[in-house]
Amino acid sequence: MKCYICAQEGKDTDALAICIVCGMGLCQEHIIRQEMEIWEGGYPFPSEKVKETLPRILCPYCYQALKGE
Amino acid sequence: MASLAKRAVAELVGTFLLVFFGTGAAIITLMISAGQDPTTTFNIGIGVLGGLGDWLAIGLAFGFAIMASIYALGSISGCHINPAVTIGLWAVKKFPSRDVLPYIIAQLVGASLASLTLVMVLGMDAVTIGGLGATTPFPGIGYWQAVLVEAIGTFILVLTIMGVAVDRRASPGFAGLAIGLTVAGVITTVGNITGASLNPARTFGPYLGDLLMGGSNLWNYFPIYVIGPIVGAVVAALLYQYLTSEDTTL
Repeated sequence: MKCYICAQEGKDTDALAICIVCGMGLCQEHIIRQEMEIWEGGYPFPSEKVKETLPRILCPYCYQALKGE
Repeated sequence: MASLAKRAVAELVGTFLLVFFGTGAAIITLMISAGQDPTTTFNIGIGVLGGLGDWLAIGLAFGFAIMASIYALGSISGCHINPAVTIGLWAVKKFPSRDVLPYIIAQLVGASLASLTLVMVLGMDAVTIGGLGATTPFPGIGYWQAVLVEAIGTFILVLTIMGVAVDRRASPGFAGLAIGLTVAGVITTVGNITGASLNPARTFGPYLGDLLMGGSNLWNYFPIYVIGPIVGAVVAALLYQYLTSEDTTL
């Protein structure tokens, strides 16, 4: 698979990962790796933040959309 | 997890909301019906206006306050807002021993502040006519009958909590609704027997408020609302744990 964004720019770059939301192939330059906080528990126990975060790969478009900016 | 201090504040606020809106509904019902003659001695004024509908309205006021508190504060402290629930969860090792006393103190303080706030809002009629919504056994109901009724009511409440919230198989998101409506249902039936406290803090606040504001001294009834709810809660928690334990033999 090739990087979709590089292909749009006329470059031919191998993809290293895909966006978890839209499935776009991404090269190292266009990958956005996000660490998501995980919370456990809730009524009737207090919620607790899990030490480890959940990593996910996003493309720049989905990252911006999810950030709401 | 939030610090113990923050969790205690959440318990205080949740219990305040429960007592303010729940007992507030009972007080206002008594104030509205004041001056009307109840048809039986079993009727203290709640029931004059709409029969069991009066108790349903009071039950729903409690239920909605509990539901709002659970959704607002459940992820912070667990929103027990009831010493019997805290002790029930502790009995099945779902709640740490070191946090039990701070939670109960916060619940008692929240309930007391709510009762005193109701005096500020409604005036002394809240004490003289409404009795601050304090619970006592109704005419003809004996001491141990009242303990049994409180235990049964709290048993249903804690069994519901275990099934809809503690059990990992429960669908998330429904706990507040289910528990609020359970309390409303229990109060509708049990209200005219013991006042349907199901919660030592809910009785403590009005009792303290009545004492401080020159109302009735009802503390001889307080053990009913401590023993009954705690026994009911612990039995429900232990029974649920037993029923959901995995069988070791086939």
